[in-house]
Amino acid sequence: MLSHMGIFCRCHLLAIMFCGSSIATADELLPADTEITTAIDHYVQQHLVTCGVAAVEPADDLTLLRRTTLDLAGRVPTPVEREWFLTQPASDRRRLLVERLMQSPDFDFHQRNWLDETLLPNQPYNDEFRNYLLTAVQARRSWDTVFREIMKAAVSEGPEKGAAQFLKSRVSELDDLTNDTAILFFGVNISCAKCHDHPLVADWKQDHFYGMQAFFQRTYQTRKTSSLAERPFGEVKFANVGGESKTAAFMFLTGDVVADRTPQLADEERKQLEERVRKLEHDDADAEIIVPEFRPRDELVELALRDTKGQFFAKNIVNRVWARLLGTGLVDPPDQMHSGNAPSHPELLEWLTNDVVSHGYDLRRLIQGIVLSEAYGRSSEWSSGSEPPAPSTFAMAQTRPLTPRQLGASLHVVIRTPEQWPAIENTEEWTKQRTDLENQANGWVREFEQPGENFQIAVDEALFFSNSGRVQDDLLRDSDDRLLGQLKKIEDQSQGIETLWLAVLNRVPKPDELASATAWLDHVPDRKDESRKQLLWGILAGPEFRFNH
Amino acid sequence: MFRIAKSGICIPAHHAVSRRGFLSDGTIRAAGAVTVAGCFASDMGQIHALRSEEVANELRKQDKRVILLWLAGGASQFETWDPKPGAKTGGPFRAIQTNATGVHISELLPELAQRMQHTAIIRSLNTKIADHGRGADLMETGRLKDPSILYPDLGAVVARELGRLESKVPDYVSLYTSTEGRRKGTSGFLGARYAPMFLSESMIPPNIARLETVSEIDHHDRAALRDALGRRFAASRRNHTVDSQNSAYQRVNGLMASAELFDITKEPAEVQARYGPTQFGHQCLIARRLIEAGVPFVKVARAWWDSHGQNFETHQELCADLDHSMSVLLDDLEQRGLLKNTLVITLGEFGRTPQINSSLGRDHFASAWSCSLSGLGIRGGVAYGKTDPEGHTVVEGEASAADLFATILSALKIDHKHEYTVGARPVPLADFGSKPIAEVLS
Repeated sequence: MLSHMGIFCRCHLLAIMFCGSSIATADELLPADTEITTAIDHYVQQHLVTCGVAAVEPADDLTLLRRTTLDLAGRVPTPVEREWFLTQPASDRRRLLVERLMQSPDFDFHQRNWLDETLLPNQPYNDEFRNYLLTAVQARRSWDTVFREIMKAAVSEGPEKGAAQFLKSRVSELDDLTNDTAILFFGVNISCAKCHDHPLVADWKQDHFYGMQAFFQRTYQTRKTSSLAERPFGEVKFANVGGESKTAAFMFLTGDVVADRTPQLADEERKQLEERVRKLEHDDADAEIIVPEFRPRDELVELALRDTKGQFFAKNIVNRVWARLLGTGLVDPPDQMHSGNAPSHPELLEWLTNDVVSHGYDLRRLIQGIVLSEAYGRSSEWSSGSEPPAPSTFAMAQTRPLTPRQLGASLHVVIRTPEQWPAIENTEEWTKQRTDLENQANGWVREFEQPGENFQIAVDEALFFSNSGRVQDDLLRDSDDRLLGQLKKIEDQSQGIETLWLAVLNRVPKPDELASATAWLDHVPDRKDESRKQLLWGILAGPEFRFNH
Repeated sequence: MFRIAKSGICIPAHHAVSRRGFLSDGTIRAAGAVTVAGCFASDMGQIHALRSEEVANELRKQDKRVILLWLAGGASQFETWDPKPGAKTGGPFRAIQTNATGVHISELLPELAQRMQHTAIIRSLNTKIADHGRGADLMETGRLKDPSILYPDLGAVVARELGRLESKVPDYVSLYTSTEGRRKGTSGFLGARYAPMFLSESMIPPNIARLETVSEIDHHDRAALRDALGRRFAASRRNHTVDSQNSAYQRVNGLMASAELFDITKEPAEVQARYGPTQFGHQCLIARRLIEAGVPFVKVARAWWDSHGQNFETHQELCADLDHSMSVLLDDLEQRGLLKNTLVITLGEFGRTPQINSSLGRDHFASAWSCSLSGLGIRGGVAYGKTDPEGHTVVEGEASAADLFATILSALKIDHKHEYTVGARPVPLADFGSKPIAEVLS
């Protein structure tokens, strides 16, 4: 495969704000048996001191309840959960909450949704892939196992066959297979090294790009059964800037190479094999799939998991989980892990990476450690007139837009009456209801954009909230099974307003808000039901509900 | 007792005073002034246009507009702008003399042939990519897709460069009714502020009209309530995504007021008749109404030119629609004095092969094909570039997608070399190394 030399691309050169941390060697790191939470707070605090920045106050309990529930359960808390939370001993509430949520079916759904949005961002309804991910998460498979299953794509029956969707959805574009695997599993973007050695990042040479491509070059989809397969032959050729033609080695990002163990065949034998593969690839006829002895994708998996030099695979997942929960990665952007773009907290990344590897790539453990840290639990408000601290200091929490599914599920949580939620102990009933909620959330995915880098909310969303029948007739319905229906029955108006605020915003109204809402409802005494609808709309369409903060 | 509020909405006085009063009496109000920006990429901290605001505002004052007629699926250059009558690749149609000396086009475009004073043809596009998806990526953005960055398309760039921040009308509208090849278009790193208002199901934008079940007063008041809550929330958070939500809601009323621009029955019957009965004709009329009201970029897609079979019948039908609709559009723009500040582009993702296949079709072809530019900034009556006698290759004036984009931006007097800075990465408006085609510029 020859690269197109006429195209010149310019790639990321990232300015680095570096507050004087230096990279520690492994024996300078905190002991491996330190609690994750302790390690995080140690390194974040150390960095704050170096930068001369003070952390903001911790968020209050109800704010943390909402934030943590959104991050672990993919939705806002129900009234039942709020009551439970507030009855727990104050000193231990947070830990108990996190432990409860991580055992709930909610966690599995949300974890699945996050993996799905990350790995197949353009296909929100790929059921095969989504079912596979849910099975994997529910079975508590480790991240390296999931990676193996996705890359090998060797199972053709049962829910595991969905693992192949990552590769299948990209199989027609070799560049997509190469780039997306590097970006999503290894945190590096080597696409700029396709036409020439990376102009700005010394780490990435053409050899890296084509080395990675070599692992995928033999992958194809059979015509008859749409199965993913690998040819038992094939190599990647490319031309360097000097016009010299080269054959790519099976080379990982670290420069480690795996020998090509493709069996040498006599001409006649090879011709027959080529013909069999051609038929599988292009003819609509039944034929047995050839499984070669030397399978480059399997080799890639083993190389990546053996990598102790770059730790690309482990660092990438630590960084992505961190970015998901704190709004900014330790390496930012998450696909730019290279020597020119140092982590904000190199020792912390190093420590967490070692921890995730030594604990068998258990993402639950990592997530739990992060959400229990002080860094995660800070307030997201900045009321001073001075410049707020940079996000990469983690001195304050970031305000993050909800994903379409988080928003959809949360809308369905807040519009229901509190009586409809099962008691906190009734996990069986809750599991059933949570599945319904997930289906309801699915129905909203197309109405909202998936947040990404530099995300802006489009006017389409504002028009949708303002004028769609779906919002007016569904979200603002005031039948007996709805929050609005219940509010109609509450005689004490202040109590009604408080119920509304708690249900939607998970907090009691401030005195000025209570006064304003009272004035709003009292204004036209014979139209209170209608005014209440509009009040609910104003809160639902506002940022306090739209964001995780 | 009624009075007219600033917004033009008729509000019963007692209602207005009291309900809106409580919104402005300081009870629910932002703690500090909040920039309603978040709209401009340069406010986002990440993307920064080097042009000074004075220059940008000067550009905006000139009210420049673009209409892109997107020939989805890929029109044949042989049956449109670069006929080869008599050649074995030429097909059955004749070439006709246009009103520009020495310029011949296909006989399938007789009306346009009489309006060449407005139009320059480019016959020497070599864009190399001949599959629909990647070809459209290239011809919509002027560059190859890059996994490390999401490029904005032409509409978003023009909206960003020529749109007014305070505008009440949308700044990028895309009409794409047929399902073949339908693509929404993308504002890429410029963000959702410059994303197209996309019309695919109907000719009226979705959610543009107030529901009858919500009164005008409620609609207005609840929006004011939302804004008050939004400002309050934003005041203690410096977050451009939060700001973008607030500015999105602030645009709702303006956009709702522009709903009637999409209603062609507001045009005199005689004008409607001139544009004719086809949907493409109707959409060209909508485009003219939008342009006239100040929308900087309108894309109208006409599908499906992908004539792998029956190329000649397909082009007889589609060219007739293009010929008439575009001619009426050019006339109408000229009569209204709008053509001098409106650029009309006809373009698709690629052209079609010289070889005529066994189904009498032409296949995808991107090595030697054509497009046209009319109106603002264009030297009319010019046919630029040349292909060989059978149309296999470009022999004169080869132009890339980036060159075409540089030309389009130059016609709009936008410096194509200006750079957005994304992260630390410079992204020029037209790709590195591009050069405008001076011969087609006035």
